[in-house]
Amino acid sequence: MNPNSRSRCALVCCFFIALFSAFSFRLIYLQVIKHDEYAELAAEKHVYKQIIYAERGAILDTNNEVLAHNVPVETAVADATHLNNREAVVDLVSNELGIPAEQVSEKLNSERRYIVIKREVPESLAGALRAKLRARDLRGIYFEHDATRIYPNGSMLCHVIGFTDFEHHGIQGVEASMEEYLHGQDGYRYVERDRVGQEIVPYRGQERAPRNGYQIHLTVDLNLQNIVENEIDAAMAEYRPQKATIILMRPQTGEILAMANRPNFDLNLRSEAKPEEMKNRATIDMMEPGSTFKIVAAAAALNEHRLRPDSTIFCENGLWNFGGAALHDHRAFSNLSVRDILIKSSNIGAAKLALSVGEQKFYEYIRRFGFGERTGIELPGEINGVIRPPRKWSKISITRIPMGHEIGVTPLQMTAAMATIANGGKLITPRIVKSITTSDGKTISSLSPVVLRQVISPETARQIGDALRGVVSDRGTAAAAAVPGFTIAGKTGTAQKVDPRGGYEKGKYIVSFSGYLPAEHPEFVGFVVLDDAQTSKPELNYGGLVAGPIFSRIAERAARYLDLEPHEEIRKAIPLERVALTHASRH
Amino acid sequence: MNRSRRKNQNAVNAASLARWIVVTAFVALAGLSYVYLTLQLYHLGERKKLVENELLSLRTQNEVASVQIAALTSRSALQRRLKEGYLKMIPISERDIVRLSVPARRADEDAIQPVVNRPASR
Repeated sequence: MNPNSRSRCALVCCFFIALFSAFSFRLIYLQVIKHDEYAELAAEKHVYKQIIYAERGAILDTNNEVLAHNVPVETAVADATHLNNREAVVDLVSNELGIPAEQVSEKLNSERRYIVIKREVPESLAGALRAKLRARDLRGIYFEHDATRIYPNGSMLCHVIGFTDFEHHGIQGVEASMEEYLHGQDGYRYVERDRVGQEIVPYRGQERAPRNGYQIHLTVDLNLQNIVENEIDAAMAEYRPQKATIILMRPQTGEILAMANRPNFDLNLRSEAKPEEMKNRATIDMMEPGSTFKIVAAAAALNEHRLRPDSTIFCENGLWNFGGAALHDHRAFSNLSVRDILIKSSNIGAAKLALSVGEQKFYEYIRRFGFGERTGIELPGEINGVIRPPRKWSKISITRIPMGHEIGVTPLQMTAAMATIANGGKLITPRIVKSITTSDGKTISSLSPVVLRQVISPETARQIGDALRGVVSDRGTAAAAAVPGFTIAGKTGTAQKVDPRGGYEKGKYIVSFSGYLPAEHPEFVGFVVLDDAQTSKPELNYGGLVAGPIFSRIAERAARYLDLEPHEEIRKAIPLERVALTHASRH
Repeated sequence: MNRSRRKNQNAVNAASLARWIVVTAFVALAGLSYVYLTLQLYHLGERKKLVENELLSLRTQNEVASVQIAALTSRSALQRRLKEGYLKMIPISERDIVRLSVPARRADEDAIQPVVNRPASR
């Protein structure tokens, strides 16, 4: 080989060495240095993060009756890059899902890889469409498993249960307040698809199973709720009030047994509901309580030992000028005992009870009874109410507040205050959630009663209870609230309706009754309030005549349901032969 | 001498050949097994997907059935049927209710009491 050929050969060799070195460097650059970047790009192209949605937990009543649960549906989605026959797909999808063809076409023309065509497609419809797509070999439409919330009882307990938005986040009621427990945790799975969009199972990547939401068990008993709903409907038909609220609560534990408001709405048709219908007035509506508030003044006077139940107070024969303003009673009373002030519902007497303890002490008792602060119930949007401190009181406030004027309280606060009397003086936090369990019944949390404070002594509570028994008697203002066979303690309230523009609305009243049964060992406290009830005669628009009978009917049915043993009078009504049978069985 | 050299030069090294055949066969078998197992993996993946879909479908059917049961047995539905006359309920009147008082228990009823077995008679 001559030197010329040798150098040429070396040159070619060098060229190839340089060429392959360049290839090698490029390969190393792509495969090693740029590995992560290109692997990510490749994954973006083929790998898809499939969300496995967690099932939202159910809401159940105290007897495990279903109040809210899920129905499986599908979400129809499209991958525009997988479409093989756009026109045919548009035609079929629009026909099957009932969406205008232009709308489907517009969505598919976006060329995106994830297009939501329609949410909440029923399972049967999705199955039929899936089969038709397969039969005609049309690609690019997929179905994602989803669920929609269903409320089997429609409008019953609607304000307590609440509802969710289309992303399954609770936005009202227990659905909202217990969101973190109900929602669960979505899972995911990385899947790789082939060119026709089918998953390549062996290439399935990281996977995490979803954790379904917990079940929420409420303290509400649907049997009692049903009684309350029926009676509130009857009251709405009879008195046509603007609003109405009824609450039943167990005084020893604070468990809410039933809670109903009107107006209401159907949870399954929530998109049609008006904002006014969606308000849970038991916790977010404020009212002047009227005479039911007299229990606070009486409790303060007795607990501070300023007076005894039989101490007499001169009630000014029905008209008392105090602080330059006249205070009236509905009837002229001269001397009344503390007990009779409650029984006869004397405004002047209640004002003098508050005066006996003084402004500051009376204010302290109002706050100790829980007014002016949220009760802490597991419902969203609860308000504090309005209780002004004594420095903002006028000269006559001390005489108006004891009769339930110049203050704003929620129906739930009023129920809790009556429960304080019923349970021996303890203020208990009202509760609507009984326990939280997993879907297979394992208890995560069981909520026990929370005693906030001892507001009054058990002895004072007993004395007030004795007086409240007199209210539901022939001598009191709520004879119509009586339930045959049982002793009931309660207090009526009739407050003129506050005009938002100032002052009071003439001829419009908020009538209420708050009571408990049986008076000796209370099983439940009830509160009934009707806003602007329409009675045949104006003089019939009183708490004792409107709200009292409603309470009576509810209490009678509830006592029967709870199997409370009635008093002797009812026993006498049992036929003799049955009484004999009862006695025979004792021996 | 020449014959002997030729014989040595053309001799087949049987051991080496056998070794190569075994190695090649092993490599071929390994390759075929790899292909077979990969295909099996895809096949089982498909079956896994089918079973998953079937399971999901059964679960969904079960959920739909539960929802229907809950809807049909809900209080509102039962009340509607009651109103429509499909169901009949007769309220129990007070005179038909018999309340049996629980007999009073003696104070020592729940107390632990010594028990002596009588000796067996002979």
